[in-house]
Amino acid sequence: MSEIRQIAIYGKGGIGKSTTTQNLTAGLVEHGKKVMVVGCDPKADSTRLLLGGLAQKTVLDTIREEGEDVELDRILKEGYGGTRCVESGGPEPGVGCAGRGIITSINMLENLGAYTDDLDYVFYDVLGDVVCGGFAMPIREGKAKEIYIVASGEMMALYAANNISKGIQRYARTGGVRLGGIICNSRNVDRELDLLRAFSKELGTKLLYFVPRDNIVQHAEINKKTVIEYRPDSNQAQEYRNLAQAVIENEDFVIPTPMTQERLEEILMEYGMMELADDYKI
Amino acid sequence: MAINTSNSNVATRENRIGSITGYVGTLKDLASQSECGTLKGCSRCFSQSSTCLSTCGLGQLAGIRDVAIIHHGPAGCSVASANAYYMSKVMSKKRGVTSSTVYVGTDMNENDTIFGSTSTLRDVILEVNKRYSPKAIFVSSSCATGIIGEDIDSIVDDVREEVGVPIVAVHCEGFKSRIWATGFDISDHAVLQEIVQPPREGVKTNKINFKNFFESARPEIIEMFKQFDLEPVFLYCNSTIEELSHLSESIATTCICGTLGNYLGNALEEQYGVPYVRSINQCGITGFETWLREIGKVTGRSDKIEKYIEEQRAIYIPQIEEVKKELKGLTAVLGMGPGYTFEVSRVLEELGIKVVWALAWHYDKKYEDGNVPPSMKYLLDNDIDFEASVADQQNYEVMNILNKYQPDMYLSRHPGSTVWAIKNGTPAIYVADEYMIFGYKHTLEFAKTIVDAIKNRSFEENLAKRTKLPYTDWWYKQNVDTFLEEVK
Repeated sequence: MSEIRQIAIYGKGGIGKSTTTQNLTAGLVEHGKKVMVVGCDPKADSTRLLLGGLAQKTVLDTIREEGEDVELDRILKEGYGGTRCVESGGPEPGVGCAGRGIITSINMLENLGAYTDDLDYVFYDVLGDVVCGGFAMPIREGKAKEIYIVASGEMMALYAANNISKGIQRYARTGGVRLGGIICNSRNVDRELDLLRAFSKELGTKLLYFVPRDNIVQHAEINKKTVIEYRPDSNQAQEYRNLAQAVIENEDFVIPTPMTQERLEEILMEYGMMELADDYKI
Repeated sequence: MAINTSNSNVATRENRIGSITGYVGTLKDLASQSECGTLKGCSRCFSQSSTCLSTCGLGQLAGIRDVAIIHHGPAGCSVASANAYYMSKVMSKKRGVTSSTVYVGTDMNENDTIFGSTSTLRDVILEVNKRYSPKAIFVSSSCATGIIGEDIDSIVDDVREEVGVPIVAVHCEGFKSRIWATGFDISDHAVLQEIVQPPREGVKTNKINFKNFFESARPEIIEMFKQFDLEPVFLYCNSTIEELSHLSESIATTCICGTLGNYLGNALEEQYGVPYVRSINQCGITGFETWLREIGKVTGRSDKIEKYIEEQRAIYIPQIEEVKKELKGLTAVLGMGPGYTFEVSRVLEELGIKVVWALAWHYDKKYEDGNVPPSMKYLLDNDIDFEASVADQQNYEVMNILNKYQPDMYLSRHPGSTVWAIKNGTPAIYVADEYMIFGYKHTLEFAKTIVDAIKNRSFEENLAKRTKLPYTDWWYKQNVDTFLEEVK
């Protein structure tokens, strides 16, 4: 039995981490892989497409309402193609500490034995930036060893990706965590592919896959489904299958080399984004 | 710097008045650097444990009679409640009064840190108010509530009308400051914010605010002040909320310890024009006389005070001179808070004892009024110098110094510290009570205590022979500042 590949997905808020993770998961399922997705976002919407809705009770809600003596099947739900779905959950906006919540819920999953040997992949879909120690929990203490950053050709997405790399670098020194690459969730920005390639190279990693923009993703989301489930024959479904294949085959894991703000801006200038800033469209 | 009581948060001593916890050098250098503003504290790459500022802050408030302290945090944070209860009970009994002060923790658990627990806090406040009917409620944060940004201020504002007694948020996150004395400022700030009222119209008084710790010399000070037509109001131990509400009406504020009294004294002066008596403290002959004369000046009672000084001198000075003969040439190391270490150093010099090293647990390079603390100014003006360091009770540094200098005595106001000295074979004097060197009488007693301590050293010598201390020879050979680093 090979070791579970534990993968954390980071990226700027709203970049499409959850969408990408779930579609990627669906792709892996088609390859016969056993996958668990752990949503690390207080909004608890990381498994919606796999479960066909937001019906799931979060780990933290369960602990709060039922105490620490909870059964695993109360918080672990089976979704598309036998995937296991968990939502960490968290406090209401503006109160408490969501970071601490992630620490507590991941510890709880471990204590309850959620990481069974039959799993091939565990994905942690983590909210926004690595704002505090709690959001770095999935990459600490030997949990996720692989990280993919979802980005696009927009400046703030790259800025966030660079920042996240700083967090990875910190934990890479002490733990075994490595960056597996950048996944571009395209926003149709000018020269996006070139920019992402150059950016990835500067970070010491590679552009793992370029997911083109397609409205079918939105349609699938409205229908609470992954694209693979919603339109298995579509081009976009094939893109996600290819992404899954790229993840399966990926063997390039690096300690990233985050750049200075100046260098990041230089790259953006080089690929024309700064000049075109006025008329760029999403 | 102006004291702003409209905000519940108090800046730390480090930020407000540039206080430091790391320095090794000489007294002169420390004082002159303070005066010209070049003093920069050092940090340590190795540090032993120290004290939490919340213990100081809430300990002070818990000394007030019939109030409630609500410590919003995990159970361990309210560990100080045991000592607070003990002190409150003992001190009120000693004085012959009763205190129904309660110290309640909210027992925050893991879920509370994730989801926040202001609703629980609200319930606890209302329940405490109902059950104990306190005269005032102090609601304190802790490290945990500080990190998660629990909005204690809003809850306090929200329940203010319902509880019907003064209620105030006290921001006591322990990580805020390395200097536990910041806790004193936090307690003063809370009292100033909600308890102290503007002076009542037409009220004339002969009261003088006297900030101290445990008011052990209360009867004799009341007796002494009577001769000057002054009535001391001791705080906060055994104070009532009623007394504290009128602090703004007193004719002056004084204190036993500059570290303790600085914030309240300056704030009362700044906000209500109550003069703050700025002088060296009452320890020793010069200290006592200087302090009394300053009170005379501030309150217009110089004649009465001069008469008192003359009478007392006649009684005590010959006796003190007699004991001094036995002290001449002895050497001492001392480790205390800065409000005492530089005052007691002065007294030791006065008694003919040579101070070889003075450690201050922190150091305020200036007080709230922007001036160098009077104790330092005195030493500097009188050309007294010795080696000095600033260390927040870093015992390994104390032991290094004691081992190197092997002084005749070690003096400290912190009990654990003196025990270590004794294990080193050094006679130690625990200057526990803040009035131990107060005025002529206690200066004489103090001098006699030193004689007692150094005359028969067999206990210290025998204990040292049979004790293995944890420090290696390597450490004793190092300079005291080995682990100090320049602040980046």
